[in-house]
Amino acid sequence: MASDPVLKISNVSRTFGAIQALKEANFEINEGEIMGLVGENGAGKSTLVKIISGFDPGFKGSYQLNGKEVKFDTPSKAEESGIAIAQQELSLIPNMSVAENIFLTGAKVKKFATLNTLSKMARPYLDEVGLTDIDPSTRINLLSVGEQHLVEVARLISREAKILILDEPTAALGELESRRILEMVQRLAKNGKSIIYVSHRLDEIFKITKRITILRDGVSQGVQETKDIDVNKLVEIMLGRELANMFPSRADHISLESKIEVKDLWPDGVLEPVSFSAYQGEILGLSGQLGSGAGEVLASIAGALKSRSGSLTLNGETFLPKSPSQAIKKKIAYCSSDRKKDGLFLGRPIFENLTSPALDTISKFGFNLGSTEDSYAKNLAQEFLIDVKRVYDESGLLSGGNQQKVALGKWLSIKPDVLLVNEPTRGVDVGAKSEIYQRMRELAARGITIIFASTDIQEITYLPDRVITFYRGMMIDEHRLEQIKTPVILKEITDPFNETNL
Amino acid sequence: MTTIIQDNKSPFSSKFLQFYKDRTLLAILLSLFAVMFVYGIFFTENYLTITNFKAIIRDAALYGIMAIGLTFVTLSGNFFLLSLKETASICGVTFAMGMATGFGSPDLVGNFLVSLLAALSVGVLSGVIQGYFVGMGGNPIVVTLGGAGILYGIGAWWSDNLVINFKRPHDAEWLGTGSFLGLPSITLAFILIAIAAELVLRHTNFGRKVYLVGANKAAGRATGHENFSMAIIVFTICSVCCAFVAVAFVAQMDSAQSNYFSAEFGSSGDMTILVIATVMVGGNSIMGGYGSTLRTSLGAIFIAMVDNMMVLQGFNSGPRIVGVGLMIVFSIIVFGLFAKGSRAQE
Repeated sequence: MASDPVLKISNVSRTFGAIQALKEANFEINEGEIMGLVGENGAGKSTLVKIISGFDPGFKGSYQLNGKEVKFDTPSKAEESGIAIAQQELSLIPNMSVAENIFLTGAKVKKFATLNTLSKMARPYLDEVGLTDIDPSTRINLLSVGEQHLVEVARLISREAKILILDEPTAALGELESRRILEMVQRLAKNGKSIIYVSHRLDEIFKITKRITILRDGVSQGVQETKDIDVNKLVEIMLGRELANMFPSRADHISLESKIEVKDLWPDGVLEPVSFSAYQGEILGLSGQLGSGAGEVLASIAGALKSRSGSLTLNGETFLPKSPSQAIKKKIAYCSSDRKKDGLFLGRPIFENLTSPALDTISKFGFNLGSTEDSYAKNLAQEFLIDVKRVYDESGLLSGGNQQKVALGKWLSIKPDVLLVNEPTRGVDVGAKSEIYQRMRELAARGITIIFASTDIQEITYLPDRVITFYRGMMIDEHRLEQIKTPVILKEITDPFNETNL
Repeated sequence: MTTIIQDNKSPFSSKFLQFYKDRTLLAILLSLFAVMFVYGIFFTENYLTITNFKAIIRDAALYGIMAIGLTFVTLSGNFFLLSLKETASICGVTFAMGMATGFGSPDLVGNFLVSLLAALSVGVLSGVIQGYFVGMGGNPIVVTLGGAGILYGIGAWWSDNLVINFKRPHDAEWLGTGSFLGLPSITLAFILIAIAAELVLRHTNFGRKVYLVGANKAAGRATGHENFSMAIIVFTICSVCCAFVAVAFVAQMDSAQSNYFSAEFGSSGDMTILVIATVMVGGNSIMGGYGSTLRTSLGAIFIAMVDNMMVLQGFNSGPRIVGVGLMIVFSIIVFGLFAKGSRAQE
């Protein structure tokens, strides 16, 4: 701790339009240190990471490298100064060999080289990240995802990166592969690299970091020594307390009238068949990290993801939807986690988005003369607090929060019995968040059964009446009403089998 | 606790862009119309005559009808049917075969209805098959290029690459060279098809689905509108339009040959390029989800006007084909600029 930090960021802020992504962030890292960076979704982690790695030069505040004030206009400038980032989405070229990928760009690229020489050059870097058994001439797409991550890091090291940022490297990985990543991180730190480790998996954070920087609502909450802090304390700092009242109050009891029964559903990404039921008018939360299977279960109920087996029972009928359109016919609505991908028709007006699942109800004999649709869309907009005057605008022009309201609100048009929502508030500002929670609660009170999956621990703790936890493709436990407690859930979705000794 | 962040930070710029994205392409097209019209009046002999304008619309009608069919494919995000002229070719051969030989049965020789139905069925069949493969996830370019080879080949094989003649008088003259109310029948057909297509797109569920699926296939699937059935339907619509144009053209020529739509057709050379140009010049988005058949119809008339002007100015076919090419490039650039503008805030 005595030495000066290699990288120091102080009083950094960043605004995007009306949204303030970072308010006051401080960050520092020493040589050979592993610094954890944690925070909720939307707390500003990714903004901070982008600033450090030179992707986002439009910030205010001071950025010092080795004691000198610097400013990087592009990521490649940052890379020249030894700062490199391994993002969640890998930037490897699948059809090229490991060695070719490592020397794709950068100062060490030769004008002419055979695969053989490249392989020899790649060897030491692969050894350093722990890929001793991999032949550098193997094609990338023959490696596992975890190994690909390691190759990506090897590539960064080959360009002499001193400070490495790893953004959720284990999010899509299983236990064994994650362990390899962690071993690599520790080895690199021993060799004098500084590593910024961004992760939602708190067990990993506790296992490998020395210090942790916590972000909340764009403000850094001070640096914590890992050994002085425990999970509960960390979560408390991450969430803050005053935010709890943005959630509507829960139902006072759970109806025991089962609305939809899920039996032996077994989609890809889930280890064993899953069975549970959801009751009339309740909000059921499926909690789990990315890749835990919660989202997959939801998608397969909606027919958006294939299930190997199983059936649903809804309104006395037993079936298994093979496509979203079959599910829609049975009054099951599904709002996916990625609204830009399959939630919205961005280039089309808002009213068309709102009525898109219910074209039959707004038309007669297939003809749609506009007036029914108009009032229908405006009602929906009003109900979901979307500005009625804007319904003719292109939906792509809306902010994230309003887009999410449209993506979710359109499903009311089919008068669903079951509403499935994956990540109800991803990329949504706090105001819209609370409106969405409010609406979900009102819909549940009207008798709609809502099942949502979320990686946001706060929303899992305060919104639902019942929570089912998932961990790496397995269903772990169920909690009701007052028994829903953050630390318990957090433990179950990060480390249910006591693999780490916290 | 927190203020609700609404989107009204830049209502002006976003509305401005949206308004102009919708209107500007049309305005550009209309002002080009006007410029050309004025130029025609003052600098071109025989321009301002009713005969000339009838000729323009008549030219526009043939590829305009095919372009309206193709607009459905493009709007639904399935890119292009690249086997346009080959579909027309095999349907033309089928129709002529029916008129000339009655498909082997002497009773049917010269039977317009049977020949027409045969040609349209060939169109439906080729559309359904190509649409099926695209709907299954095939790349539209690859599928329809393959389709082009197969369709042309079958037509050429069947007709031995010969010209199939059928003599006047025949029952199809009313469609080929006849006219009603002073307008050639093909022109009337173009107008009726253009109106019908626009009504379908605006005021039916199917039309709405075309736009939705074209704007975002994944979201279309999630809301219960699969591209599978969509691809089959739009490719069939497009192929049937090709078949209809082929029948009209063959009826006009009293003969058919498998290469009629590559070399002999109209004045601007290749039929496929001409039709794609029409869809693009009208200002429809190549990526789908944005545009209309009205734009396509205007595009068809615009291209016919330019072509007509060049003919009257004494250009031969080489420079006229260059003209069509330049129009495609220009419209794509203009559209690209405006499309970019409106997505700036995504």
